[in-house]
Amino acid sequence: MSINRRFFLKSGGIAVASLGVMQVVPSFLQRAVMAQVQHAGVRRKTLITIFQRGAVDGLNMVVPYGEKNYYALRPSIAIARPQAGNPEAAIDLDGFFGLHPALRGFKPLWDAKRLAIVEAVGSPDNTRSHFDAQDYMEAGTPGIKSTPDGWLNRYLQSNPDAKASPFRAVSMTQTMPRTLQGKAGALAISNLADFSIRAGQYSQSVQGGFESIYEQSAGDVLGGTGRETFEAVNFLKKVNPSQYKAENGAQYPRGQFGNSLLQIAQLVKAGVGLEVAFTDMGGWDTHINQGNARGQLSLRLQEFGAGLTALVTDLGQRMDDVLILTMSEFGRTARENGNRGTDHGHANAMFVIGGGVRGGKVYGDWPGLSGSQLYEGRDLALTTDFRDVFGEIVVKHLGNSNLQAVFPKHKTSPAAFRGIL
Amino acid sequence: MRALQLSSRNINHAARRATALFMLLTLVAPLFVASVSAQRQQAAAARRLTEDQRILHVLNRLGFGARPGDVERVRSIGLDNYIRQQLNPGSIPDAVAEAKVERLPALKMTTPELYAKYPQPAALLRQLERRGELPPELAAIAEARKQGNAPDRAAAAGANVNGQAADERGMPVDEATVKNALSDERRNTAARRAMRDYLAKHNLQSPQRLVAELQASRILRAVYSERQLQEVLVDFWHNHFNVYAQKGADRWLLVSYDRDTIRPNTLGKFKDLLTATAQSPAMLFYLDNFQSASPNARGNNQMNRRGQNRPLLDWLMRGGANAGRQREVQRDVMPQEQNAPRRMRRGINENYARELMELHTLGVDGGYTQKDVQEVARCFTGWTIMDPRGFRTAALQQLGARVNVRAGAGEFFFNERLHDDGEKIVLGHKIPAGGGVKDGLMVLDILAHHPSTAKFIATKLARRFVADNPSPALVERVASVFTRSDGDIRETLRALFASPEFNSPAAYRAKIKTPFELAVSSIRTLGGDTNGSPAVHQWIARMGEPLYGYQAPTGYPDLAENWVNTGALLERLNFSLALASNRIPGTRVNLERFLADAKSGGTVDKARVMERFLNVIVQGDISTQTKQTLLKQLDAPINVSNASSGAETNGIDDDMDEMDAGPRAGGGGGGRRRRQQQMARVDLSTVQNPEVVKVVGLILGSPEFQRQ
Repeated sequence: MSINRRFFLKSGGIAVASLGVMQVVPSFLQRAVMAQVQHAGVRRKTLITIFQRGAVDGLNMVVPYGEKNYYALRPSIAIARPQAGNPEAAIDLDGFFGLHPALRGFKPLWDAKRLAIVEAVGSPDNTRSHFDAQDYMEAGTPGIKSTPDGWLNRYLQSNPDAKASPFRAVSMTQTMPRTLQGKAGALAISNLADFSIRAGQYSQSVQGGFESIYEQSAGDVLGGTGRETFEAVNFLKKVNPSQYKAENGAQYPRGQFGNSLLQIAQLVKAGVGLEVAFTDMGGWDTHINQGNARGQLSLRLQEFGAGLTALVTDLGQRMDDVLILTMSEFGRTARENGNRGTDHGHANAMFVIGGGVRGGKVYGDWPGLSGSQLYEGRDLALTTDFRDVFGEIVVKHLGNSNLQAVFPKHKTSPAAFRGIL
Repeated sequence: MRALQLSSRNINHAARRATALFMLLTLVAPLFVASVSAQRQQAAAARRLTEDQRILHVLNRLGFGARPGDVERVRSIGLDNYIRQQLNPGSIPDAVAEAKVERLPALKMTTPELYAKYPQPAALLRQLERRGELPPELAAIAEARKQGNAPDRAAAAGANVNGQAADERGMPVDEATVKNALSDERRNTAARRAMRDYLAKHNLQSPQRLVAELQASRILRAVYSERQLQEVLVDFWHNHFNVYAQKGADRWLLVSYDRDTIRPNTLGKFKDLLTATAQSPAMLFYLDNFQSASPNARGNNQMNRRGQNRPLLDWLMRGGANAGRQREVQRDVMPQEQNAPRRMRRGINENYARELMELHTLGVDGGYTQKDVQEVARCFTGWTIMDPRGFRTAALQQLGARVNVRAGAGEFFFNERLHDDGEKIVLGHKIPAGGGVKDGLMVLDILAHHPSTAKFIATKLARRFVADNPSPALVERVASVFTRSDGDIRETLRALFASPEFNSPAAYRAKIKTPFELAVSSIRTLGGDTNGSPAVHQWIARMGEPLYGYQAPTGYPDLAENWVNTGALLERLNFSLALASNRIPGTRVNLERFLADAKSGGTVDKARVMERFLNVIVQGDISTQTKQTLLKQLDAPINVSNASSGAETNGIDDDMDEMDAGPRAGGGGGGRRRRQQQMARVDLSTVQNPEVVKVVGLILGSPEFQRQ
């Protein structure tokens, strides 16, 4: 008991510590703690995945300023080469790539080697439909539409945890995203404060009623879920989501994206057994007037970068056990179009952030942007299958080597990993 | 000390009672033997459902639960008669349900009419702008679009419950695009209003309303139709042949899909249903077959790489009437396509072929190979849609361009110019060269009669109607009826409903209701009324089952584990409270009618209230334990107020306008979002008869009512 409690307090963070006594900790949480104790020495890792829906223009997000064709292809929307004192120039990373200036906040992470970038990564399927490409990326099975579950859910299934907390997998979205749909339990929730019986002054008494009835049917699927549900509701109530204060001076941007990240941070700190978190952000489909250092894309990147920077700042030391992965369904045309925008392309770039990341490096082979190097004569070619990035994270961060279960029909193996972790 | 005394008194009391009991037992011991054998007989009887349980079981499984009086009604006509009627829905008068859907105009429109009446606002804007005819009130929207905010899309497309609305290119407008667009709330509200005014002025509707009407029609018919089995089967086949409303043109095409493809074929021959889906524009669009073309096809050397509107182009090339004007249309239409994904590149598309075998007929282990998939895909090349994106033309038409949405726009059309006319081998059957449209029809015939299909369909029907994991013996029996009857769905179901498995206690309350079933059966059990508005659909979506909202072609998994999880269960309980307290706009229950004998302002016995609602909602069939537990929850005395409770909801008809605002999900943003959240919260202290609401909410939320 005392071991558990010590461990719990050490790993569980402020919220649980503030509860004071172990007795009031819900059983799912005690089990989560026990599970951690049992996997001696392995602390619970958390993966936070961010989907940039709408296909972000990776070539302006991570600027290949050293690529001679880049400026020829994008006469009006290119980001200028790094230049001291020019706030509209790319921020140099490694002498070839630079960050979009709106992502200035990422530079310290890069310098601290906690941020890695994967270039020319994506789906081998050539679809340029948002719909299909998001489907493939979330299901983790490019080209196959009937996959019933998402790859994150298959990870949960392949690493079954009968004692898992109901907060093991949480999507901060209104409905369950494709990537977390499947047999393993997951929670879709847009606002933690809504996670309750909502009956105003009667809430407590109505909840008590439901709790007693569901207690009666313990043993069947409804009873079991009912018990877990109320434990989770009660626990969350104690965490008191509406009173949350970000730490270390972190400032989340206003809006749904920042709010989602803030609540993810809250769950991480509350020690509720969060293992996989998901949220998404849109506005990337920049066909018209994309802008360059300023404008439409820049505004989106600003919010995106500020959100993730705040999350990392807020989580502080906890980032040692947290990995943030960003993705988008495909890249955009290398050439700007007639409307100063870009159209649907192929390969893209991903960010990987965390204490365990071998950061400060751009991974993946750069295919080049000359006419013959472009995929179908127009897009950045693919040199890394996204499943090899996801796979590396599943194996090295989440500690599950059963890749066949997570990515069926894909011959991924540690040999294909890029060594990001 | 006092506690100790108390307990010692209790012990004495208990001891005295035990002694008395013992003496009593001694006296009655001779009777005991007889009593045990009676118990055995009872146990044997318990292995069969009581007549009332059977009726309830049938009302739940062949329909969406019992309304007040239904059990008695079925008892009086006889259960077997009732089942026979339900298997022949055409013989059942259904005036009430028909009247309810009368006010959903979309249901009766042809696809070209829908394109014209529910135009895609983004296309409308673009065209207006290109022609310099943009009214000032819409100029702000067009400008915002260019700035990357897209209030027009937000206003028009809204965010669907999956956070993915589809724009005119058949691509999802992501949730956050919409959210972002809504960041400037005032401007957005103005923009939304401007678009709404424009549509209203021109007697048009937003495409979002179209989806809302479809969803409303399903809810209304499920609640009101006397043809309950028909509605269950519509639900079943829609899920089996799933189409997602938010994919491109599918929102316009689903009206015909529901009306012309699914509904007439629910109880006929499976092959007819299969063929109808194969030729339905909705399915052709959803699984991409409309753009599948053979590289060897005769027409392919003339292909334009941007050939999205290939059928239109083909028609133009053939010099159709209005050709000159249509070219103008084409010029107007095509530049947008430059931004469109080039997934329209001509080539074989295997999606439909694969899902046809894996999900519609044989099942994943049904014995086909990748080679079969390729061959089937070749057979279906040229099965396409006339003017698949006719909604753009419709937008032009609205601008007064003298063009007409083509007759037949959005309808199935075999384009032989795209067809691969070579020989194919499918599952060992030779399909000779030169068959044209017959190739696909032959494939459907082969698949419909394949033993794997019989087994697969039998499994899914047994899973739906009997239990999550039906026994292999049952599946085999049902499959053999399917085969013997040449895939006659009515005969297959008749056998299924007559099976011992269906009528066994093991099947009773063995299924967890889907959110749709739960919502509809809750309204029915209380004799409630609904207009099927987005507010009630929103609850179904919250609980996890937006109608026409499942993205993958598999459809919703028909298993308990899909529906029972922490978040979804919580929403089910909250739904029960929202319904019982009349906090779902457009949906209304009158709980006082069940307490008519209680005097207004008087106090009623809470046990009696509980008893009454247990009878109403779960036909009194609930464990004593649960009943006791429920009773304990009622602490306050129940004072009944019979003042009109109508004030708590909008009139049933008022809420239809909510449809124009689109569904209330996924980042609706701003005021709408707040309203939505308010809607999802109920403060019982502000409603009439809170204790009664609590009782009803608890029973609706009980495990017994979550099951069927």
